[in-house]
Amino acid sequence: MVDQAPGVRIDGLTVVYKTPAGELPAVRGVSLTLEPGSITGIVGESGSGKSTLALSLLNAVQPPGRIAAGSVEIDGLGDVVGLAGEQLRKARGKHIGYVFQAAQNSLNPLKTVGKQLLDLGRSHGVEDLRGLVREAQELLARMGLDGARVLDSHQHELSGGMRQRVGIMLALVLNAHVVVLDEPTTALDMITQANILKIVREVHAERGLTTLVITHDIGVVAEVADRLAVMYGGRLVEQGPTRKVLGAPRHPYTKGLIRAIPRLTGDIGEARALPGRPPTLATVPKEGCVFRERCELRMDVCDTVDPDAVTHGGRTVACHAVSVKEHA
Amino acid sequence: MTLIARRLAGHLARGLVMILVVATITFFIVNNIPGDPMAAQYEKLIEGGMSPNAAAQAVKVLYGFQPDGTLWQQYLDYVSGLFRLDLGVSVTRPGTPVLDVLTEAAKWTVLPVLAGTLLSFLVGIILGVFAAIRRTGKLGDALAISGSLLHGIPQYVLAMLLVVIFATLIPILPADGSVDILYEPGFNAGYLGSLAEHAVLPVLTYALSAYGGWILAMKSSVVTVLGDDFILAAELRGVKRSIVFRYIARNAILPLFTMLALSLGLLLGGAVFIEKIFNYPGLGWLLIGSVQDRDYALMSGAFLLITVATILANIVADLFYTVIDPRVRSGEEAS
Repeated sequence: MVDQAPGVRIDGLTVVYKTPAGELPAVRGVSLTLEPGSITGIVGESGSGKSTLALSLLNAVQPPGRIAAGSVEIDGLGDVVGLAGEQLRKARGKHIGYVFQAAQNSLNPLKTVGKQLLDLGRSHGVEDLRGLVREAQELLARMGLDGARVLDSHQHELSGGMRQRVGIMLALVLNAHVVVLDEPTTALDMITQANILKIVREVHAERGLTTLVITHDIGVVAEVADRLAVMYGGRLVEQGPTRKVLGAPRHPYTKGLIRAIPRLTGDIGEARALPGRPPTLATVPKEGCVFRERCELRMDVCDTVDPDAVTHGGRTVACHAVSVKEHA
Repeated sequence: MTLIARRLAGHLARGLVMILVVATITFFIVNNIPGDPMAAQYEKLIEGGMSPNAAAQAVKVLYGFQPDGTLWQQYLDYVSGLFRLDLGVSVTRPGTPVLDVLTEAAKWTVLPVLAGTLLSFLVGIILGVFAAIRRTGKLGDALAISGSLLHGIPQYVLAMLLVVIFATLIPILPADGSVDILYEPGFNAGYLGSLAEHAVLPVLTYALSAYGGWILAMKSSVVTVLGDDFILAAELRGVKRSIVFRYIARNAILPLFTMLALSLGLLLGGAVFIEKIFNYPGLGWLLIGSVQDRDYALMSGAFLLITVATILANIVADLFYTVIDPRVRSGEEAS
């Protein structure tokens, strides 16, 4: 059952959006490697560019946005940025599965799940449609749902947690081995969140997937991800093994994020919100560090020079202050 | 099926009540219009030398009801007649039941209105999809502008414009009437050709004036659906463009069916100006004539017919949703 999980290498990816003020970057110079068979989590605030990055994996950045530079190499598929037309359409769904946020309506409200499954099969030239339905039912049963009943249901007859499992099923049913989950647990209750995360972990291991989880919830990443990448203002500011990054964050933004989480035990006042607000597309500084306005370690060099991502011991940090400390 | 039957029964019961209410209101309004053809006729006969009794008798024989009954009495007679589909007798066409006059006129309204509305609906929704997909380009702009422009021109102005262009400046079509009298009515080429020729301008008027509404409504509906997540989701799953297009079209057209059904109901009454301008012997033309002649029975009958058509159109639209929208279907099952 377990095929060789493909690796994904994002290199120097820049995505710009056309605005009245010209083309502004939502993602700038992001390089990230998804190891075969790993779960990588990307965390960031709203507007940090994490969803845009996720869409880039399918070369599906929506106009007025476009990928301006960089590449997304997927094993067995090549550079996704270079794909277009039918080739791109066939890659989506078959090689890369995309799971929408549960609160979003990712199903056609007028058709049953089963009919949409058949539409999907026909689109990808699946000849054995009965086999596809069987596969879908097995996947749904694996996730604790009554497959036959769900396939016979319309979207409005399913709960949020059920929809999310249907979304995962549709992403995997064509045997895609790269899976992108965009905010998989947002708008779900705590119990359902825990269930979905458990399912993601288990299905990931069973099917031999390479998984990318986009979230604003550090708890989700801590729960499922092997590696963690932190985005801010369209830049990847820190990445590394989840435990190490959460245990000993280096970038001042990551530190601030973790400090802002309220603890179950102890004084609620211990959690401290990061001062200021995240930049929008229009307010991201054109030069220098994107985080300097809210940074407590700000130095003169931060105003003019964008810090390079420096890799050291399996961890990558883009911060002048951190590299100064390390080199000193 | 029982679900649809249950819905239908509920709708029909409500519809019947509404029809009665409207019939009551129109009866009293119509009978309070200044002027009284009965009295006029009655006085005319007396002036002609008849005795008052004989004149009353003659009027009664001619029109089939007593002009000296109280309004209340007349109302009760009218309503009890309604239940027997008896709308009374036309005042200006002595001896002719209102129902016959209406059915004769209805065919001149229903066919052109149906043709014009369906034509504009088809063209409007197809072009509306293009206007939505190409909304940032020149084609989209041109389509949207054409829609706004035609939507903004009042129907009667459009009708007169068409008459000026196609009957006066380039005299290729007849300006008014429904058919040339020189042809023998029946299934012969001359008669049918003349019918078609006379129908072109009225149908074109209906079609052009409704087209703007359809294209604008469809455009905004498609734009809304295009922004829906499930369209992007389908694309990200690699679903074929043709299938995604069907998803878009089916979801976008849904709200337009109500508008279509309602406009068909309303157009029976809305054809007044057009039929007057083209001198087309349909319901609108009949209505104007009956108002001018103070033909109470005919007026009430025409108003009632328009009411019934609108209510029926509503019922049809609602039942249609039960068939095509699964959300409406299961919403009822749950209750």
